Amino acid sequence: MSTVSETRKPRRKAAARKTTKAGARSASSSSSRTDAVVARSEVLIIGAGFAGLGSAIRLRQQGIEDIVILERATDVGGTWRDNTYPGAACDIPSNLYSFSFAQNPEWSRSFSGGSEILRYVHHLADHYNLRPLVRFEHNVESMQYDDQRGVWCVKTSKGVFEGRSVVMAQGPLSNASLPNIAGIEDYQGHKIHSAMWDHDYDFEGKRVAVIGTGASGIQIIPELVKKAGFVKVFQRTPGWVLPRPDFETPGWNKALFRRFPASQDAMRKALYLFHESVALGIIWDTPLTALVERIGRLHLRMQVKDRWLRRQLTPDFRIGCKRVLMSSDYYPALQKDNCKLITWPIARLSEKGIRTVEGIEHQFDCIVFATGFDVSHSGTPFPVTGRDGRVLGEEWSGGAQAYKSINVSGYPNLYMTFGPNSGPGHNSALVYMEAQIDYLVRGIQTLRERKLKALDVKPDAQRAFNRDIQRRLAKTNWNSGCKSWYLTEDGFNATMFPGFATQFARQMAAFDLGDYTELPA
Amino acid sequence: MASIDLEKMLVKIKNTQWSLADIDWEAPGAELITEEQWPKLKEFMSDLMWIEHVGARAFAAMAKKAPNDTLREIYNYFHAEEQRHANAEMALMKRWGMLEGDEIPEPNINLRLVIEWLDRYADEMPVYVLGTVVPMLEIALDGALCTFLLETVDDPVCHQAFEKINDDESRHLGVGFTVMEMQGHGKTYIKAAKMLAPLLDPRLLLGIASYFPLLNKMRDNVIAMGLPEEKLYAAMNKFEKIGGRTADGRRNPWFQIIRQHAKFVVNRSNRVYHVPVDAVVRLTGHIPRRALPAVPSWVKELTYRPAA
Ligand SMILES: Cc1cc2nc3c(=O)[nH]c(=O)nc-3n(C[C@H](O)[C@H](O)[C@H](O)COP(=O)(O)OP(=O)(O)OC[C@H]3O[C@@H](n4cnc5c(N)ncnc54)[C@H](O)[C@@H]3O)c2cc1C
Repeated sequence: MSTVSETRKPRRKAAARKTTKAGARSASSSSSRTDAVVARSEVLIIGAGFAGLGSAIRLRQQGIEDIVILERATDVGGTWRDNTYPGAACDIPSNLYSFSFAQNPEWSRSFSGGSEILRYVHHLADHYNLRPLVRFEHNVESMQYDDQRGVWCVKTSKGVFEGRSVVMAQGPLSNASLPNIAGIEDYQGHKIHSAMWDHDYDFEGKRVAVIGTGASGIQIIPELVKKAGFVKVFQRTPGWVLPRPDFETPGWNKALFRRFPASQDAMRKALYLFHESVALGIIWDTPLTALVERIGRLHLRMQVKDRWLRRQLTPDFRIGCKRVLMSSDYYPALQKDNCKLITWPIARLSEKGIRTVEGIEHQFDCIVFATGFDVSHSGTPFPVTGRDGRVLGEEWSGGAQAYKSINVSGYPNLYMTFGPNSGPGHNSALVYMEAQIDYLVRGIQTLRERKLKALDVKPDAQRAFNRDIQRRLAKTNWNSGCKSWYLTEDGFNATMFPGFATQFARQMAAFDLGDYTELPA
Repeated sequence: MASIDLEKMLVKIKNTQWSLADIDWEAPGAELITEEQWPKLKEFMSDLMWIEHVGARAFAAMAKKAPNDTLREIYNYFHAEEQRHANAEMALMKRWGMLEGDEIPEPNINLRLVIEWLDRYADEMPVYVLGTVVPMLEIALDGALCTFLLETVDDPVCHQAFEKINDDESRHLGVGFTVMEMQGHGKTYIKAAKMLAPLLDPRLLLGIASYFPLLNKMRDNVIAMGLPEEKLYAAMNKFEKIGGRTADGRRNPWFQIIRQHAKFVVNRSNRVYHVPVDAVVRLTGHIPRRALPAVPSWVKELTYRPAA
């Protein structure tokens, strides 16, 4: 039986574009039962993950209370609610992977596990009393801007919600994706996707395949090797793996942070600066790049003695080009007696297992897909129709573009968290997220203060911004020639921010009203 | 044969995969191997499967050096396909009762030396050196050894397996010659000189020192099996014909070297070449196996079992 649910199957690009048009059409028809307007609010937030909840907290702190959060799941938490696979953990120190305005002195480890991070998200929801704002099991299907009234009509599975401003905080990595492998439907054994873990499945003594050796894969593998009978790991390209100094936080440390919050601030600052310095090696090709690569190679050499295995695990691209992996127990796990790394290309899935090109059928009781997420660089997660019926997915078909990653011209009062070119490669996503949240709060506040109907970014400002971003990206390691989920098929980078987190924060700190057209109420 | 579109080739490679499970290794026909054939065939098959590995290991090295993603992926597939051929050949040996338990066939010492060299140095060799030697070895294999095998062995399962193997090999050759032409494309004198520079590399000289006797040794093996050596030479001549069909191909200096060398090999009356090389073959025959380093761990991936 498959545990990978139908609704989250990867959507091929062409199909996604088709839904864009179809969805836009159905959004404008009013025949369906779900088209009844359920509620109106000043701000609609899509998604109750870190970004959605953080936006609500900050908006409220500025006195903006009329908020509705639409969430398709039954609970808050986003990524950390969904990714509960064994070994799920943060690869950024927890002290930095938390909001600066809601610090947690109680982190139990330097790199906390997923369940502890989820507890922190629950704490945010409860402490700031956010749950009453959330409409659970409301899946956003499309949204359309009503130019006349200056409101967004957001169609959900349970009716239409209207809002003056919309925050799209549906997450950059929230739709699990299965790989495009022939015969994936033929396999009759158990299937599990890392983002939809099946906690009822007993791995004891089972023959298990793990497809994918990215950030999730390398966390899952050491845990599975402890339990399963035999684990075969299917790798397409080896990534750079750096050691992860994970240790338990001593009691005195927690007490210190509790008593003197300034000490935690200082720690956070130090971690932040450390990660900023790593950017020098990871984002651009500098002498530091060679140094970080040397650390990676040394780590491999120290942990893997066999020459051939080491060769199989040695990346053939510059560090930083793809996401850098952090783990101290991945290489040792691969060398356990009940584990084997397989680097032969996969020919197809068959009824009993995986056929690889060296002609062998590897048979399994269970296949774990650690194959990541459906990251669309050229579409939108659901159809978004702006002014004059323009469709965002169509405008982005050649690669997504936005102004400062957060607004798009022609789509007034619409804010995106982790919009185009906001991705961090070396620092905590939450640092970037906070900067985006503060920006969107400014925008929504401005609307209120200046009694405007809408703020729409000027096309020229957006163009100039993107020219600059793409020029800067051309000099980065991401654009140095490897294939990664950061890039489109044609090599367009619509994902990453080409600079330090500090530069991103500075970009987001400046709210330049001159770049916007103000539409009066 | 015009140069092929590598993108299309990659799609074709992906769409034409087969696996050991597609063949019924228990089907009747194994009894057609004669008592007399059996011991020689065992040795022949052992060498054959290790020659697949020479190709496999070379493709693995070429994947690292490939000039673009498409070619890298193609070489990754070829690496695995060569291993598949070795696995299929082992499955035949198993079928014919030539392997005890999990025994892995022993390669002859010259093959062993080449593999040792490949494992140590191939990753550092420029792609065009291996890119020219590999088509040469493959064409000799394809044109002579496999044909010979099919002419002398009646077992239908053997024919079934080699039909698939030969299909793969023809794609390997197609890509091989296309890449040789790509490398000869518009070469200036300076570029050609640069391509030859590795000749001064002692690691390459070591490679040559193991490649020369290998060919002579294989010739001897082929003769021992009763194959007229002319068939091997005819196959080697094909290398010259196909590789040299375009100006680009001819401009590739490595093509010229390998071609010239093939001529030496084919000309048995060239005593200047054959006397010393044959002597090396005899000499290497005395190297005790325990004097060689342990086999690399990839050898343990070989299996005659269709499922694991
Ligand atoms: C396994 C994993 C580990 C990670 N580790 C790190 C790390 O160590 N460091 C780091 O910096 N980053 C990490 N990240 C990146 C991570 O995605 C971000 O740090 C952060 O969780 C993003 O938060 P978010 O609120 O933007 O998105 P999410 O957490 O994905 O939340 C989005 C929410 O929107 C909801 N939603 C989506 N679509 C719809 C819809 N159509 N209608 C209604 N609701 C919808 C989802 O259900 C979800 O609750 C990790 C990501 C994953 C997947």
